[in-house]
Amino acid sequence: MRARLPDRAGVVERDGVRVAFDVYGSGDPALLLVPASPITHARSWKMLVPSLARRFTVITVDGRGTGRSDRPHASECYAPVEVEADLLGVLDVVSVERVVLVAHCHAVPWALRLAVEHPERVLGVVAIDPAVALAAPHPYTVEPERRWAEPRDAPTGWGMRNRHFWRTDGGYRRWVEFFFDRQLPEPHSTKQYEDTVGWALDTEPDAMIAEREGRAAPSSSETEALCRALHCPLLVLHGSEDCCQPVARGRRLAELTGADLVVLEGAGHLPHCRDPVKVTRLITEFVEKITGATMHTTTWTRGLSRGKRALYLSSPIGLGHARRDVAVAKELKQLRPDLEIDWLAQHPVTAVLDAEGEHVHPASRWLASESGHIASEASGHDLHCFQALRRMDEILVANFMVFQEVVDEGCYDLVIGDEAWDVDYYWHENPELKRGRNVWLTDFVGYLPMPDGGEGEAFLTTDYNAEMIEHIDRYPWIRDGAIFVGCEQDIVADSFGGDLPAIRDWTNEHFSYSGYVTGFTPPLPGELASIRARLGYREDELVCVVAVGGSGVGRALIDKVVAAFPLAKKAVPELRMVVVTGPRIDPTDFPQRDGLELRGYVHRLYEHLCVCDLAIVQGGLTTTMELTAAKRPFLYFPLGHHFEQNFHVRHRLERYRAGQCMDYATTDPDLIAARIAELVGKPVDYRDVETDGAARAAELIAELV
Amino acid sequence: MRACQPSHEGTVCRDGVEIVYEVYGEGETTVLMLPTWSIIHSRCWKMQVPYLARHHRVVTFDPRGNGRSGRPAGAEAYGEREFAADAIAVLDATGTERVVLVGFSMGAQRGLVLAGEHSERVSGAVFIGSAVPLGRAVAREDWIDDFTRPRDSYEDWNKYNRHYWMSDYEDFLEFFFAKLYTEPHSTKQREDAVGWGLETDPETLVATQLGSRVESDELRSLAARVRCPVLVIHGVDDAIRPYDSGVAFADLLGAALVSLHGAGHAPHARDPVKVNLLIKQFADRVG
Repeated sequence: MRARLPDRAGVVERDGVRVAFDVYGSGDPALLLVPASPITHARSWKMLVPSLARRFTVITVDGRGTGRSDRPHASECYAPVEVEADLLGVLDVVSVERVVLVAHCHAVPWALRLAVEHPERVLGVVAIDPAVALAAPHPYTVEPERRWAEPRDAPTGWGMRNRHFWRTDGGYRRWVEFFFDRQLPEPHSTKQYEDTVGWALDTEPDAMIAEREGRAAPSSSETEALCRALHCPLLVLHGSEDCCQPVARGRRLAELTGADLVVLEGAGHLPHCRDPVKVTRLITEFVEKITGATMHTTTWTRGLSRGKRALYLSSPIGLGHARRDVAVAKELKQLRPDLEIDWLAQHPVTAVLDAEGEHVHPASRWLASESGHIASEASGHDLHCFQALRRMDEILVANFMVFQEVVDEGCYDLVIGDEAWDVDYYWHENPELKRGRNVWLTDFVGYLPMPDGGEGEAFLTTDYNAEMIEHIDRYPWIRDGAIFVGCEQDIVADSFGGDLPAIRDWTNEHFSYSGYVTGFTPPLPGELASIRARLGYREDELVCVVAVGGSGVGRALIDKVVAAFPLAKKAVPELRMVVVTGPRIDPTDFPQRDGLELRGYVHRLYEHLCVCDLAIVQGGLTTTMELTAAKRPFLYFPLGHHFEQNFHVRHRLERYRAGQCMDYATTDPDLIAARIAELVGKPVDYRDVETDGAARAAELIAELV
Repeated sequence: MRACQPSHEGTVCRDGVEIVYEVYGEGETTVLMLPTWSIIHSRCWKMQVPYLARHHRVVTFDPRGNGRSGRPAGAEAYGEREFAADAIAVLDATGTERVVLVGFSMGAQRGLVLAGEHSERVSGAVFIGSAVPLGRAVAREDWIDDFTRPRDSYEDWNKYNRHYWMSDYEDFLEFFFAKLYTEPHSTKQREDAVGWGLETDPETLVATQLGSRVESDELRSLAARVRCPVLVIHGVDDAIRPYDSGVAFADLLGAALVSLHGAGHAPHARDPVKVNLLIKQFADRVG
């Protein structure tokens, strides 16, 4: 799912060529983001758009030749005047008088020319890794460039930049894969690589060839003339390791124009993809500076006049974190009564916080929906949560930018992040932005590959784990505390992959253990009867509660369980089945049967789980651990391809000897019915779940304030 | 020792009154640190100058009545427009076309005269703890009458009286600067200010109180003529000039307001880091 959808989308058509654009936000001034099309398109700005659009009007274009734009095959269609006229056409259609142009690579000459020829419409230019002929090209590109039009036999490397090779079967793809591999020299860039290759494959070789031959990039003397004629402010950003455009070109551009130059050391050709936080901040500062944006009315409190404040972030992925975080916060307030806690949170966490009277920071409304993204990634009884997390990159960076604004202004002493992936990742990537002390909580450590993902997925999970380990080795001061919500034995026996250490050894060195935090106290045996009576469950019936969480993911499991009901009822006549479909699944969609109830929402569901005779659930940690703590028999079906449910949660439940793990794909209604008959109402011998987890977590956190 | 020495200093003379100025650093943007009430002088900007001068050209001058500037006799010499004219003379003498000006307390009045009547020379203005007649209804002549008449007792704010100044000037300074710095642990700031106050004399200070001010109506007409961006900084706990008047002033000017919680009248001295960053950020944008 995207972090932010455009407020307006449209096309401009000139001489039969249609060029697509999007408009986000309504602030002042407007920014026109110009990609180096057609090898890439508007989506290449995805990591910047959500946060820029909160302040400015942001216009993106696909560029002729790619994305949702037309792909003419005649080189004259890609003459600079055509591209520039497209951009002006977009500005006219959206009635924007003046813009700041943000351009990448070979889009920079277009932007410079627009600024020179239409100074009344361009407030300033940000040139990212500019392709300007102001310094020699990388030597390895010279020979292939000369032989561009020459048929070559099995070229390799830069030699694949060849018009004939691109037309061979798979040739263009091989070039693109080579090219973007070189453009992302930063370690751990797998996601950016997949994205950029994908965008490059959105066009076709003939359009790419036509653009290359029609580009008419300005010569060095023409570029120098443009620099002399440029009168608007310019900011140049250039990666020191750029393999496409030598950093000398960016330097020279800045020298000739008097522009500010920011060399991004260690960065390649795509800093707007790989270092989006830094690039967003640089663009924002530049725009505010050149437009003389008035300073905002603010308050600042003297250091010694401040109350102690914490900002708590609770992951909205799954429903599990909210209640445990409220429990930890309540214990923390006992230990530190003067500590004020704000929450930066989104649905569904905010529903719990509102009910508990907790203070939700108003900036929370800017957060892009993480739970919505996860739901959009699920289908059937399947959620590839590692890939879903990777594809959540633009949402994470959008939400990090909101978070950073909140901590920049909020003077927080402490940040508590319960699986706040965005904060943990981007503070390690941009350590100079850290504010206050920071404590990280999680209930699993280590991405694990699903077996059917093969070597490719194992490579990716290893790479992600390696990045996390390097982050923490390099910047041990970003996490002032790290709490594993559980015990040492809850950690899987696997390694992080490759040559990386065993997960348990590494976690022992880098985490403290709080024990599990249920967020509630399970009823004592003597209380069960009265709770059952209050909930309307009779002593002479066997109650099976089926619950699938709050997202729309559970439909497939409900179908199977409902199909099993008649068989189970035949075997167990006292059976009463209560199916909780959650807010996104309509309970009236299922067949009506005697003894089968379908409900959309059940208040305090955990009470029902605590007194049921059997539960059937997915493999999420929170619900299964509630059942474990309450010592109820249950069947759990981990979601397909969900590494956390299949490995981490399952391992933990096995340690508690709790629940029966079921494989959704190979389980039919007969088997479900048989398991119901076998387990319903039977005693269990689970290990006790600790009840002091919230207090222990709070003690660890309190040490930091 | 000072943290930073002026790169140039000089004197301008207006109607026989010498005004001593200093220029620090260099840069396209000049920041003019206006003098405030002559109870103190240009050293009150000592926490700002070294930092700002690394980024911009900074000009300071001592007010008539204190520091190294002249101490003319008589109230006429201390009218607000005299201070504004001194500022223009300093700008001319230092070849300064346009400035971002920074005024503290009474400096807001002369700063407003400059921004309103010499708008071509002011690209932006920062006003800190502004002393402006908003929300106070005491007529000037009544106030002067009260100020110059002996009192039965000189406790607390009753020390703000010509007769008391003439009899125990230093005690008045101690009292006044205790009110100026209400923040805990402000001993150094109070000592500094009392020391600067002792560089002038009670007769001169009385004269400064009797000079003409920017009155309420004039303030509004000047404000209406201000075209440049303005930043108003005011301590919420200001015991000299109420925070509300700072809010009203920002409102009148359509200015950005930075409210400093826990801060008193002179945050540039007591919270110099925050104020330095605010001034620089503002000057970077408007200069």
